[in-house]
Amino acid sequence: MMMEALSVLYFEDVKEGDEAPVKKHRLTRTDMVRYAGASGDYMPMHHDEVFAKSIGQPSVFGHGMFSMGLLGAAITDWVGKTALTRYKVRFASQTWPDEELRTQVTVTGRTVDEDGRHLVDMECKLLNSEGDVKVVGEAQAILPSRN
Amino acid sequence: MNDAEQLDEDLTKLIGRPTGKSRVVLERGPVSYFAIGVCDKSPVYQDPRAAEAAGLPGIPVPPTFSFAWDTWGKFAEMQPDDVPQGSAVGEVVGSLMSKGGVILHGEQEFVYHKPVFVGDVLLGEGKVVDAYRKESKGHVMTFVVTEMVWHDDKTGDLAVTSRSNIIHRL
Repeated sequence: MMMEALSVLYFEDVKEGDEAPVKKHRLTRTDMVRYAGASGDYMPMHHDEVFAKSIGQPSVFGHGMFSMGLLGAAITDWVGKTALTRYKVRFASQTWPDEELRTQVTVTGRTVDEDGRHLVDMECKLLNSEGDVKVVGEAQAILPSRN
Repeated sequence: MNDAEQLDEDLTKLIGRPTGKSRVVLERGPVSYFAIGVCDKSPVYQDPRAAEAAGLPGIPVPPTFSFAWDTWGKFAEMQPDDVPQGSAVGEVVGSLMSKGGVILHGEQEFVYHKPVFVGDVLLGEGKVVDAYRKESKGHVMTFVVTEMVWHDDKTGDLAVTSRSNIIHRL
């Protein structure tokens, strides 16, 4: 495999309003089964279509924590895999098979705190192709400084 | 006391109750597979050489993995002796569900005090930090907020705090 160093995002490279590269993913039932196995969350409405319909749902639907994980992947692909200090979301609506999900991560502020840490605040969302919000929240990361 | 007052009192009593205690080992296989499970294709989760090339001291864990990590690595012989018996949240949720309704995961928050890596052993302790009820759009919504605080078992350093807001909607 390739062993080239991953590109590093520096504090000075980021300004308010900047957006992280968008991550797109078409949600499948296989994703739900894989996430169930990867997380141990076997709540039946996420993998058992018969059960989901029996409780009045049109089909199985995605785990909220899958959505948060997918969005987290987009954030940490950009700021670095160990850069986060905080990550919080509200689960706004369910995700459905075949929806095209896309991430939206926007810088809302940057500060240097009293300990000299270079912090970047972001608003983050996961949406479908119609723009319906699935997950909305905020994250904060420490970035390295060039100075 | 009517039913609603009784429920409010039950919710108030829930605040501060312990929800669990566990010791977990962050294992490589589950970490690598969890990354795939959330569609994170970064090689740093799959290969220690890629993690090293990225300047990391080991394989890191995805930011939401702490929600799932006691599915693995929670080995029986390593568990603390003073694990609280029963489930405080389970009792309340069970009594709410007896009236019908659905359970929803409303919000989730993680605070990362320090990065954790494959091989680390963490000790977590949970409690109920808030419980309240409100009416919205014709539904009675009961909110229970739990917090799990994870420390590095070797150094005692604070590692991750996880807060979950669970909603019962009737």
